[in-house]
Amino acid sequence: MSPDHKPILVIGGGIAGMTAAVEAAEVGYPVVLVEKEPSLGGRVVRSHRYFPKMCPPTCGFEINTRRIRGNPNIEVHTMATVEEVSGDVGAFRARIKKNPRYVTGDVSIDDSVVEQLTSDRPNEFNMGLDTTKGLYYPHTAAYPPLHVVDKEALSDGDVAVLTEACPPGALDMDMAEEEFTIDVGAVIVATGWKGYDPGNLPNLGFDRCPDVITNLIMERLAAPNGPTGGKILRPSNGEAPTNVAFVQCAGSRDENHLPYCSAVCCMASLKQARYIREAYPDAKVTVFYIDVRTLGRLEKFYYELVEDENITFVKGKVAEINEDPETHELILEVEDTVAGERPDSRFDMVVLATGIVPNTADSPIPLELDYDDYGFLNGATGVEGVFAAGCATHPCDVSRTTKESTAAALKAIQCLNRG
Amino acid sequence: METSEITVPEGENGQDEATPLDIPSPSTNGRPVRVDPDLEFIRALRRSGGDSLKKCMQCGNCSAACPLSPHVNPFPRKEMAWALWGMKDRLLTDPDIWLCHHCNDCSTNCPRQTRPGDVLGAVRQQCILHYAFPGILAKWVSHPKYLPILLAIPAILLGLAARYREAIGEFLGFSVPMGDRIVYSFAPMFPHWLLNSFFGLFTVLALAAAIIGVWRFSRGLKRSSVWGENPEPVKGVLASLGSVLLKVVNHDRFTTCDTDHSRSISHFFVFFGFIALTVVTIMVITGPFNPLIRGDFVYPFSLWSPWKLLANIGGLAVLAGILLMIWERLYFGHLAGTSSYFDWLLVWSIFLVVASGFATEILHMLRMVPHRHVAYFVHLVFVFGLLVYLPYSKFAHMLYRTTAMVMAERYGREAGKGAES
Repeated sequence: MSPDHKPILVIGGGIAGMTAAVEAAEVGYPVVLVEKEPSLGGRVVRSHRYFPKMCPPTCGFEINTRRIRGNPNIEVHTMATVEEVSGDVGAFRARIKKNPRYVTGDVSIDDSVVEQLTSDRPNEFNMGLDTTKGLYYPHTAAYPPLHVVDKEALSDGDVAVLTEACPPGALDMDMAEEEFTIDVGAVIVATGWKGYDPGNLPNLGFDRCPDVITNLIMERLAAPNGPTGGKILRPSNGEAPTNVAFVQCAGSRDENHLPYCSAVCCMASLKQARYIREAYPDAKVTVFYIDVRTLGRLEKFYYELVEDENITFVKGKVAEINEDPETHELILEVEDTVAGERPDSRFDMVVLATGIVPNTADSPIPLELDYDDYGFLNGATGVEGVFAAGCATHPCDVSRTTKESTAAALKAIQCLNRG
Repeated sequence: METSEITVPEGENGQDEATPLDIPSPSTNGRPVRVDPDLEFIRALRRSGGDSLKKCMQCGNCSAACPLSPHVNPFPRKEMAWALWGMKDRLLTDPDIWLCHHCNDCSTNCPRQTRPGDVLGAVRQQCILHYAFPGILAKWVSHPKYLPILLAIPAILLGLAARYREAIGEFLGFSVPMGDRIVYSFAPMFPHWLLNSFFGLFTVLALAAAIIGVWRFSRGLKRSSVWGENPEPVKGVLASLGSVLLKVVNHDRFTTCDTDHSRSISHFFVFFGFIALTVVTIMVITGPFNPLIRGDFVYPFSLWSPWKLLANIGGLAVLAGILLMIWERLYFGHLAGTSSYFDWLLVWSIFLVVASGFATEILHMLRMVPHRHVAYFVHLVFVFGLLVYLPYSKFAHMLYRTTAMVMAERYGREAGKGAES
């Protein structure tokens, strides 16, 4: 191993990018990790629990941040995006833009400062379900462990408060957008995914009915560091749900939306059914599905839920959701295709199992890479020295993502050593 | 009145015991069914508008999206399964294919982009083809290569009738009005007694054929599995017929559709236009004996005669409706549905009947000879086609659909409701 290897550029700081970064760095290769949000962790750190073990993702996540923090081979850039990549395998040059955080990190900021602020801005970490102040700490497990200033959100009063209350040197309100170029030997694309926009499914009523939520929102409702402190409550009235429906394939396996299977939504809904059953022992859950796709060892998880008397599985795709104007119950139009009937289906909360859309679908990597019709990268990416891992290439769960990321790290290392 | 008795079939071949091929199906009340695919039937469906059939994944979105589908044994998902498996007998005895009004709410929402609405349309065509009597005429009507025969039959028959009108008149005891004995009319070419007896004869024949077809169909309907075990009628036949006719007149079922509302408007125009034209035709035929119009029964009618007015308004209504239908089918096929030859044949037949009718009327008023005679002859050929081929063409939907709707009404099979059992 030669010490003068060029670094590996990892684009995306979710579980895929973090894994690739630590795997390469821990065998001695330099890594530059670029993340567009103020902290690492992406989708996974927003989840309440992992399936199938039902452990909180922050547990594994904190191990990863510790591995990153303690490793001199990894250079982390948050609030940063890759603007341009040129060159060839072994000699890429990347231009990186870094947005100002206005927080220096040299002096710590006390929570009492944040409490004095008046500005409110939507909290993207909680899917916009609550707000933060103009100066905020991204979330309890944030890495880097730094506050952020959203300068545009600050009121004039807030600016005065910050000047007065923050210790000197903690903030630098003149911090500017920064651009720099780095020479790298290989690139790993780990840009991940976002949830399919439920606004595209007007028949399922997300925009019409407050108690229709998405699976991503459910994760935040269930998480202790979420907007409700971990209580799953109906958004319309803040009451506990008693009868919850999961609507599978909300956009996925649908030629009018996402023609592919999003791979994780079945397990995600089964996991969330358990959140509800654990939080509310009397609550009933019904899962409406086309097929329950729990392959291999995950099937056991499904069969455990089948045994639960309070959980019903109905084979049938939900066509429409409407709210009863009087009782505010949600009425589902669905055929139970096994019974051959359209049951009277009323619930007080509905979770749409929305699918996975690659971030590259609307923000492609500034390189001539091979994408499929839906914006996923082809595994080989089409450019030598550029590798992709995780949901940038296809919908997949964390377990598969980390394996692919390790593989991508190995391919990048081979690339550097080929010289 | 309570004559119909419905028996549930015991499997496709009358067998009850399971074999390795048997698949228990909810749509057959849990009984095992031997699937014996009729591949030629599947091919026929795919040729006539059901080509998307094989993409179906049986998710049930269509049945749930359908505003007309009952809550017990809803359609069209089960029909899609039967069509996939080539279960011809189930489809041809199924009332639900006729409860569908082809609004395509199912097709526009289908996650596989199959078109269940169009598949049901194709099944309805096969249904008419299956039950119509004599079958050879249904075969001729359903395939373009027989179109020349269909046109030649009325042309030859009408030509012969005109050519030998005097001999026929002598035989029947009528005379052909000649020269200055008559006012300006078509009577020298086709005297009224000739027209009335010619079309009267063939209408009676067509009616008899239609009754045979519908009788066979209603016997088939009773064997359908959708009624459930031992269904009890909730209404008498006449009461059911009454409420169905009211629904048809109001276009109730048409107007529940989300996807393509304009179809109810075009159908409304054609429907009421035809009723007006039928009323006028009956009045004209029965004219000399009909006390309702006896007083002003003088040929030709003045343009301002109430009967002529009704005829012209009716004709214009049909023309407007059919032009709207043509426009929808040409430019909004994804909503109106795939148009097969069977669909187009009816649409163009109706258009040609009214177009040639108005052409005759205008040429007649302009006193253009022999143009008016040619136009009239062509008009009569098309009228013959529409009327006499009714039991075999898509026009028969008025009989088959009404029959199925009456049976559904009788057994409480309504949109959003279960069969009362």
